[in-house]
Amino acid sequence: MAVTEVMSSVGDSWPAAHSDPESMARLVLGMVDLAGVENLGAPFCMTIEAEGMGATVDLGSAETEPRVTEYAIAGLSAIDDLAAFDVRGDRAATAAEATRLLVAERPDLPMIACVTGPISLATSLVDPLIFYRAMRRDPSAAHALLELSADAAIAFGDALVGAGADTVCIADPSGTGEIIGAKAFREFALPYINRIVDHFAARDVHSIVHICGDVKALGGVLGEVSAPVISIDSNVSFRTLRALAPDHASMGNVSTYLLEYGKAETLRRVAVNRVLEGVDIIAPACGIGPRTPLANIRAVADVVATAQDWEGAERELRSVAVGR
Amino acid sequence: MPRSTEEILADLARGVLDLDEDLAVAAAHEAVDAGMDAYEAITKGLVVGMNEAGRLYDEEEYFVPELLICSDAMYAALDVLRPHLKVADQGVKIGCVIGVVKGDTHDIGKNLVKIMLDVAGFEVHDLGRDVPLADFIEKAKETNSQLICLSTLMTTTMDGMAAIIQMLDEEGIRDRFKVMIGGGPISRSFAEKIGADGYADNASSAVRVATELFATAAA
Repeated sequence: MAVTEVMSSVGDSWPAAHSDPESMARLVLGMVDLAGVENLGAPFCMTIEAEGMGATVDLGSAETEPRVTEYAIAGLSAIDDLAAFDVRGDRAATAAEATRLLVAERPDLPMIACVTGPISLATSLVDPLIFYRAMRRDPSAAHALLELSADAAIAFGDALVGAGADTVCIADPSGTGEIIGAKAFREFALPYINRIVDHFAARDVHSIVHICGDVKALGGVLGEVSAPVISIDSNVSFRTLRALAPDHASMGNVSTYLLEYGKAETLRRVAVNRVLEGVDIIAPACGIGPRTPLANIRAVADVVATAQDWEGAERELRSVAVGR
Repeated sequence: MPRSTEEILADLARGVLDLDEDLAVAAAHEAVDAGMDAYEAITKGLVVGMNEAGRLYDEEEYFVPELLICSDAMYAALDVLRPHLKVADQGVKIGCVIGVVKGDTHDIGKNLVKIMLDVAGFEVHDLGRDVPLADFIEKAKETNSQLICLSTLMTTTMDGMAAIIQMLDEEGIRDRFKVMIGGGPISRSFAEKIGADGYADNASSAVRVATELFATAAA
């Protein structure tokens, strides 16, 4: 995550920073130094795995994220044509090298490896409309693609953890309860998400799972996510999250719309409310927009920085801005 | 003995609603063979099933995969019936251009809205995804469309929607079009802020909002 004000201050910018480890690292440090974010994280986008497996990616501009412009395969019958994700590929290596630089520079901060969730990767490799139909019509092909997607997330995560990342964040915006429903989430998303989480847990690396949209649609399945931390969108209350997943730590959920268009004072109040609601980690509810004013992120970070001194605020708080 | 019109209509609707393309297509052939009016078979059979599927989607009983397969069944049966439509039934439809604004390639929501608007009788011109802002206006003018539907899933591209409305203003043609917006980060307040005419939070409400926009316009 990086915003344009930091890009101008630091002198590095998207899209070049997506392919340049030093530039990527300087932007991440800029977010720490200038915005008050209390963690490191890389990469900025969700296209590295897809590109490595054959999708065509447009790196976007200073103000728009990289995006897939051409799928890797035309249909699920071509699944054997997919390239295995190679962590030595240019952009995967960029993210790993940026991770190394960041950890060397700020060993005191958590370093988060951002990997693409299985359904989001599957729907970057083949047209989502084909994939979603296959969940009903050709479930074994859908599962086969999800296996490959989970393999890629693990390989990419391994490379970033090998470079020094201590936490993995798995975001799967295309596999939400609102899009596929709780039943399909249990069959098609949960096993793969948990396979990724468990892989890293076995290596003492904790995972965060970010679920977009309204998690109410997922019901109790949410509690079966094996990651210790669940991050939620702004349209979900922490009370709902706690009811559905009482054993998980909570992360979220400052509206990215408010972050970009709201006033700093409003953001400060929102952050205070999140603290009072008992959030464990304050973070944007989704990917933060690059035009988000620095002052608005600072307003949230300042609340977090002082929250530990509040009377009654017993929880240890960290502000994490994982949004890519 | 041939089945009654009601039975065939029920199968057309059920084939769509129950994700049963074979049933919908068989019922469409049966309707043609029985000499049923194709327009009636579509509006009282297929569309009824698709609307019911839309309702289940609204109620979170159906999700994206189900709605897509319902629409496959509907279009497969429609292909059978369409050649038998009388010219007079094709009528004049309200034109609509739809697309995902530049910078974004997430088009699931847009595709669902397109299907539901098509079912509701709009003449839909789909510009696809990652669409340059000016293209929406060009295509709307070229096709004499009255409705412009803009979608985005990303906060980074929301401003493109405001830019399109501003471009319409600057060209002095804002009042020729209704602009409806939707997508993950979009809210009613954002729609109001940028001066859009309508906001829809899912595919079936998009039809409701679009229909209301033109009902108000006609009144």
